[in-house]
Amino acid sequence: MSLLEVKDLTVTHRGKPIVDGVDFELNRGESLALAGESGCGKTTTALALMKMLPEGLKQKGGIVLRPPGVEDPINVHRRTETGMQVVRWRHISLVFQGAMNALDPVQHIDDQIGEVIRLHERKVTGKQVKARIDDLLVTVGLTAKLGKRYPHQLSGGQRQRVMIALALACRPSLVIADEPTTALDVVMQAQVLQLLESLREELDLSLILISHDLGVLAETCDRIAVMYAGRIVEIGSVETVFSNPQHPYTKRLLDSLPVIGGRRGLAPPIPGGPPDPGDPPGGCAFHPRCPYSTDRCLEDPPPVEVGPDHLAACHFSPWSSWPEVEPQKVRVDA
Amino acid sequence: MSDGVKTTAVDPSAGEDLMAVEDLSVHFRQRRKVARALDGVSLEWRRGEVLGVVGESGCGKSTLARAMLGLQETAGGEVTLHGNEATGKKGLAELRRRIQMIFQDPYQTLNPRQRVRAIVTEPLIVQNVDRSEHTERVRRALGDVGMDPDRFLDRYPHQLSGGQRQRVAIAAALVLEPEGLICDEPVSMLDASVRSQILAVLLELQQRRNLALIFITHDLSLAWSLCDRIAVMYLGRIVEQGTAVDVIESPKHPYTQALVTAVPVPTAKGREDRELLKGELPDSTRVPAGCRFNPRCPRRFEPCDKVDPTLIDVGTSGHKAACLLYDPAAAEGGAPAPGYSDTSGEPG
Repeated sequence: MSLLEVKDLTVTHRGKPIVDGVDFELNRGESLALAGESGCGKTTTALALMKMLPEGLKQKGGIVLRPPGVEDPINVHRRTETGMQVVRWRHISLVFQGAMNALDPVQHIDDQIGEVIRLHERKVTGKQVKARIDDLLVTVGLTAKLGKRYPHQLSGGQRQRVMIALALACRPSLVIADEPTTALDVVMQAQVLQLLESLREELDLSLILISHDLGVLAETCDRIAVMYAGRIVEIGSVETVFSNPQHPYTKRLLDSLPVIGGRRGLAPPIPGGPPDPGDPPGGCAFHPRCPYSTDRCLEDPPPVEVGPDHLAACHFSPWSSWPEVEPQKVRVDA
Repeated sequence: MSDGVKTTAVDPSAGEDLMAVEDLSVHFRQRRKVARALDGVSLEWRRGEVLGVVGESGCGKSTLARAMLGLQETAGGEVTLHGNEATGKKGLAELRRRIQMIFQDPYQTLNPRQRVRAIVTEPLIVQNVDRSEHTERVRRALGDVGMDPDRFLDRYPHQLSGGQRQRVAIAAALVLEPEGLICDEPVSMLDASVRSQILAVLLELQQRRNLALIFITHDLSLAWSLCDRIAVMYLGRIVEQGTAVDVIESPKHPYTQALVTAVPVPTAKGREDRELLKGELPDSTRVPAGCRFNPRCPRRFEPCDKVDPTLIDVGTSGHKAACLLYDPAAAEGGAPAPGYSDTSGEPG
């Protein structure tokens, strides 16, 4: 049984779709990567899962959560704001992007973690809260005495660990991490990723990891969903998608990435830029930038099963080989 | 690679220096402490060469770039352009005409109240280029970065995307037809597809005009794929330098080795085994005694906290590393231990 089931999730802003019919499932203990460029709807999808969208955005579609130890499935999409308050953090929590802005600068770290625990669990004593805070800080690789510090007294890596401790405070079964390592240096990034991975094993967590960095996702996740203009254009296991991409966008994106120790030089870039959120070109949203597009691409491509548990939304999938692409003149299209 | 733009094959052991810095130091005073942001850096940048300067934030890579252009007061050392020392009003003006710089954040480097035309023209005014040439040169610079002048000359920065802004910044740097361009994290704020476009623009210029490039970056994969040579910085010093292939494929300094293994690889297999560095980059007001990397080094041995290693040859074609593992003479006590110096009393 899956832990999370998302069906036809759509988020609109003044009638324009920011997220457009996203479907996926997530099993217990599994980690799913949400990849894509800025504006593709990754963060919006994450916020919709927790019903935390900013005002003006409307969501539709089914979100069903089946946390272990809870008998009836939780229909997140039907919950009211009050109803969501017992779901957030108890069952799903979020590691926000940008640890510096997400922490309260005038509160000690332990007070911020304690507040979360007290808010979500009514019957805890002060002693228990204190013990839990110390425990959490140690779990994320910090020392308990750092709890007495303010956020500005911590380094970027330490703050990101505090953010993870906050997300774990009420022992949720699903953690969504939105660009958890973007502001960090490689060494710190590797440390934080290793931490997330070990926590997932230890605590049997499911993880949704959002990043634009495909390297980070490849190393941390079991499955990957590549988003473009509000839709999932390809989803499958990390091994299959990275070794055998089946959507031209995934293919070109992977080709354009520099890989350390791999081929040197620069592959021909994808021309143009990502479309404006909510205003994608008709049909396959990637068609204006796609070297393989034809008239057929003006129609919506349905997701095609291209392999076991591997879907791609391209009219021409499955691709058995990728024709050579002329290096396009690099021009600004927008 | 069959279909890509090739990086140039500049022979790394030969070539004339475009710029060189010798024993360059920059100190920042913080109340009674002194941060040694750059602590004796020597580096050559050859004509037409793509040089990568890599390291974690706080290692001094941006300070190095600023000091090279005379934007930062130095505490010692010298900067030369074509072998001549670049000091004084005249020397600096010459330096800044021949060497240009672009920055990380294309949202903050462009004046929001100026149109693209004014932004790209400004360097020409500053350098007293004849007015009759302005229009022509501005249009050519925009064309060089792949922007249609007729469409973009009259736009304001807020009417441009992130990638377009970075192109405008590059155009403004190119309009003086420099010989070298220092790029400080030029693409780290851009999305993957836009990022490779900007890099393609820079590399095309490098090839067509023999424009020398410095990429200052924390992204080792980027340095690997584009640079002829790479210098690795740690806490204000260069700890390893050499051709990109030498430094990335056979790193010698334990710090470089750790950096290379920390890079996530976007392949199906990923990286299986990895030994991560513990701890974080120390504060540059408290540089550890001996080798500055020794408190975090997995391969430290007895003299590492006493002897400060210097860059020595560890291979061919200029591959150098500053590590006692490769310098048995110094490790046995040949070099005097500089020791931990509390720099609080230093005049500055």
